Amino acid sequence: MKDLFTEIWESVRRNKLRTCLTGFAVSWGIFMLIVLLGAGNGLMNSFMSGGRGFAANSVLVGGGWTSKPYDGLKAGRRIRLDDTDVAITGGDLFTDHVDQVSASVYTNATVSYGKMYFSGRIDGEYPASQEMNKIEIRYGRFLNDKDITDSRKVIVIPENTAEKLLEGGQGVESLLGKYVKVGSLAFRVVGISKSDRMSNSNYIYAPFTTVKTVYGKGKEVGEICFTTKGLDTEAANDAFEKQYKSVINLNHRAAPDDERAIWVWNRAHQNVQMTQGRKILSTALWIIGLFTLLGGIVGVSNIMLITVKERTHEFGIRKAIGASPWGITKLIISESVSITAFFGYIGMFLGMLTCALLDKTLGQSTMTVMDEQIAMLVDPGVGLDVAIEATLVLIIAGTLAGFFPARKAASVRPIEALRAE
Amino acid sequence: MLIELKNVNKTYNNGQPLHVLKGINLGIESGEFVSIMGASGSGKSTLLNILGILDNYDTGEYYIDGRLIKGLSEKQAADYRNRMIGFIFQSFNLIGFKTAVENVELPLFYQGVSRHKRHEMAMQFLDRLGLADWAGHYPNEMSGGQKQRVAIARALITQPKIILADEPTGALDSKTSEEVMQLLGQLNREDGVTIIVVTHESGVANCTDKIVHIKDGIIGQIEDNREHRASVFGTSTIMK
Repeated sequence: MKDLFTEIWESVRRNKLRTCLTGFAVSWGIFMLIVLLGAGNGLMNSFMSGGRGFAANSVLVGGGWTSKPYDGLKAGRRIRLDDTDVAITGGDLFTDHVDQVSASVYTNATVSYGKMYFSGRIDGEYPASQEMNKIEIRYGRFLNDKDITDSRKVIVIPENTAEKLLEGGQGVESLLGKYVKVGSLAFRVVGISKSDRMSNSNYIYAPFTTVKTVYGKGKEVGEICFTTKGLDTEAANDAFEKQYKSVINLNHRAAPDDERAIWVWNRAHQNVQMTQGRKILSTALWIIGLFTLLGGIVGVSNIMLITVKERTHEFGIRKAIGASPWGITKLIISESVSITAFFGYIGMFLGMLTCALLDKTLGQSTMTVMDEQIAMLVDPGVGLDVAIEATLVLIIAGTLAGFFPARKAASVRPIEALRAE
Repeated sequence: MLIELKNVNKTYNNGQPLHVLKGINLGIESGEFVSIMGASGSGKSTLLNILGILDNYDTGEYYIDGRLIKGLSEKQAADYRNRMIGFIFQSFNLIGFKTAVENVELPLFYQGVSRHKRHEMAMQFLDRLGLADWAGHYPNEMSGGQKQRVAIARALITQPKIILADEPTGALDSKTSEEVMQLLGQLNREDGVTIIVVTHESGVANCTDKIVHIKDGIIGQIEDNREHRASVFGTSTIMK
């Protein structure tokens, strides 16, 4: 092995400039590949963090209208979810795939504090909802189990709502522990949640039990939310949804295959699409990177052909004193692989350095979209897997680049080679 | 019989077929010091290439030490060349970017001998040829005679059955030529190495014990030259 490297070094040393110029093309190819993939990852991470409002494996269920007559009842009937559905969801039937269950019920009310007031939707939630809906608490706490069991009159207000309840809109944390009026009842503020103008982050949260009792919702439930487990494929998710719908439909005397009796929003699907999108982007970037690298590989192959031509006489001597064709082939291919790998690693190193630089610059700058700060790139860079893949690519590319020149070198007959100069 | 050629024929087919060797029959015993002499175009170089397994022949048989050399694969041919034959060329054919000792080591490298061992052996052979001090020098830092001695060391290092020398003095002045021929003679006498020298110079041929004349692809006279009186230009010099 050491002998082989000595031979390669001897050959490269004689053609430093030529080797470096060729190597630059390889470095450039790998550099582009790494930077493209790194920036692509940063972009995808940024998209992903945009969808951080929900746990990836959560399912939201709500009531709908039947679309088929069933069991003597006609189509177009309103289905309202209730406590029995919550019990079924959390019951033995779905214990394999359902993890945490939470239900919500909502009402509209006016919240007032002193002279200020605000009208909005008040969600009766369970503590588990925090994780499922990724509710971030700025000050205080979210609802807890005690709030539920005691039906406490407590409330969690989003920041932007809290600002509307304060004159001047400053110092929202001062509301903590204060009582605000919800309709005609006083609720104590236990938490302030983070908000933006998107999606569900501007709801006011109160304990599920409190909202139900106070606002006379009876057995009725607004939405059921639960997290799933053990559903790894899209097919498994589809099968589970089908089964779930048929069970809940039957609970309301609707046709088991009625698609509209209840609506089910499984965020896993969204997640799968995200993952697919990521795959497509990274494949596209790989292709662009590999084509850039191709230029470098052709250069290496070219240089190896010239090397073989120049060294024909030397190979003749080697053959005369006992080098086998494989001995010559090995020499050329390993030289080609060494050049490719060495300059490839320089490119890879510089590429990773650039990714780190991107993280320090673009990664820190943000755009404001709908009141939310979105970083343009989140954690750009490539993982160890890409580094290993790129290494494999380099070795394969180097072998390919050296293959034809090596075959040419090995096939020259020793007397012809000795005659050459 | 170390080398035996039976009715060997060789034709080159480059455009017009050229029948170079027309039924060569030749036997060389182990320990002989032979020269093959002929004018250019006589077929002597072709014969040397066949003897050295660098080229193949069309018909006939060639045996080294009783082993038929015919239709070998490249790999096998390389192995035979490595173990049985040592080459000395007119233009030395040393590898320019390797030092003297590295050049001498090379045949052992292809035998898979360890780094340390082959270096040690190469130094031994260089020492024998009086070049121990030059071991670390590159060929272009040496005189012609020194280069040829390095080449001789390289040919000897595998302890081959045959040394094939193709115009070994062709690129040397007369004084150095004489030294090289004396060295070959000495190796033959003291170590019993079989040496075959191909030359067109009668003075060089005169240094050997047996002269095989080749003309137009046919072996002519085979002279016993143990008295070294064959040279028409006198016995003691190599005429340039």
